[in-house]
Amino acid sequence: MFDLSLVLSGRYQELLLAGLLLSLELAAAALACALPLALVVALLRLAPVRPLRWAGSAFVESIRNVPLLAHMLFWYFGAPEMLPAALKQRLYEGNVEALSALIALTLYTAAFMAEDIRSGIRAIPPVQFEAGRSLGLGYLATMRLVILPQALRITVPPLISQTLNLWKNTSIATVIGVGELMYQAAQVESASFRSFEPFAFATASYLTVSLLITAVAAWYQRRYPVRTT
Amino acid sequence: MRARRPLVTLIDDTRKMNLRILLPAAIVAALSLVALAARADQLADIRSRGEMVIGVLGTDEPNSFIDPKTRELVGYEVDIASAIARQIGVKPVFKQLAVAARIPELQQGRVDLLAASLTHTREREAQVDFSLTIFVTGQKVLVKKESGITSVAQLAGRKVLTVKGGTQDPNIRKAVPGVNVVTFENAQQAFLALQQGKGVAYVNDEVSLIDDFAKLGAANAGYRILPENISIEPLALGLRKNEPGLKAAVDGTLRDLERSGEADKLFLKWFGPSTRLKFEKRDFKFDRDRIDG
Repeated sequence: MFDLSLVLSGRYQELLLAGLLLSLELAAAALACALPLALVVALLRLAPVRPLRWAGSAFVESIRNVPLLAHMLFWYFGAPEMLPAALKQRLYEGNVEALSALIALTLYTAAFMAEDIRSGIRAIPPVQFEAGRSLGLGYLATMRLVILPQALRITVPPLISQTLNLWKNTSIATVIGVGELMYQAAQVESASFRSFEPFAFATASYLTVSLLITAVAAWYQRRYPVRTT
Repeated sequence: MRARRPLVTLIDDTRKMNLRILLPAAIVAALSLVALAARADQLADIRSRGEMVIGVLGTDEPNSFIDPKTRELVGYEVDIASAIARQIGVKPVFKQLAVAARIPELQQGRVDLLAASLTHTREREAQVDFSLTIFVTGQKVLVKKESGITSVAQLAGRKVLTVKGGTQDPNIRKAVPGVNVVTFENAQQAFLALQQGKGVAYVNDEVSLIDDFAKLGAANAGYRILPENISIEPLALGLRKNEPGLKAAVDGTLRDLERSGEADKLFLKWFGPSTRLKFEKRDFKFDRDRIDG
């Protein structure tokens, strides 16, 4: 009944592998953009200036309370339409589907990661911060040299969870025509009339990559355990 | 550090154990999802249930769509399917489906009948049975005039938009080797993407295309429907394979509609001169369930 050779060779396999590659690229690019953004937002939320804290909260709350699907549709169908005509045209000549998906995934992931980083920072005893300041370090220098090196280690497990979410969330990009793994699985399904095989391939791929991310995380935790203070 | 070791090993063990238990469980769950329940004659099933579940698109005017005034599902295929349910003596229950979900939903028994702009193709005959052909349409391409495209061949290497899971995608790929196709969940999203300039062309069944073109109103001066058909699409109702009872009931109703002149009336109601489509005459009949080629 199931013929896995359908997706393990030939044109269908090429389609699925192309999809897997694009999914990986999308996840990697979104992670690379989301992490620094999340750090900035977390620092904004803990900033000593009230308007900065407001800006941080506004970012997090406005993004994490809207479904990712809505983000995708907004960044593809909505947002680019507000751009001036010339810029819009240049943008549409390129791969606007993947770019919109990247923006949606980056913002969505950053909002969640910012909260994890913020809790990591808050877990560091305030005396550490005071000690830094009393050594004559400024706010940012204390953060960079004293707080963040400790906080980021604590934050690794929740950040791994968010990375796993990000990896699986790339599948939502299928609704805006991005040729990622789920999109290609659906293509193979409609071309071959076989549902099980392409989606089994997709499931196995998501599972494998997720387990690899988890394994890297476990290795990292062993190599760089949280320092007990 | 030493004191922590056992804890780490313990966590490691639970993780391994979880995997040992979860993996087989996941496989069993996945397999039972695709296992098909054995069923008796479907027509008898429908009669005893008192209702027939009909899969429609609901996003493809004028075949099946939501009337913006009444918020009700209406259309050519909705009328035909309702006539069939009436004939069998049961209540029609409509279920909206995505284009790509049509055949799987039918095969897995979640709908009894597809009235969902379904093209009768040779490849699909291995998957489902078809009723008599209920409509014949070409498949065409809509472009913006400013793209300068006047023939289908010029689409090579350009971005073309259409719906996911229908015959549009394979047909345009066959007609224009090297075309870059981007597909969406429904045709209206693909059409919106064309209007926004995210691709140079939009592919759909001619009737849907003319309707979309008309919906543009004054703006349609900036658009052009390319003259070539990329294919001829005989649309039919879809049934699960080997259900002779249901197939006889469906085809019987279609033949009755043809004999009584009701089929002509339905054509005029949805496609005739008083509609946006303005088709003058009907050049097919509900009389065959074979396709050429």
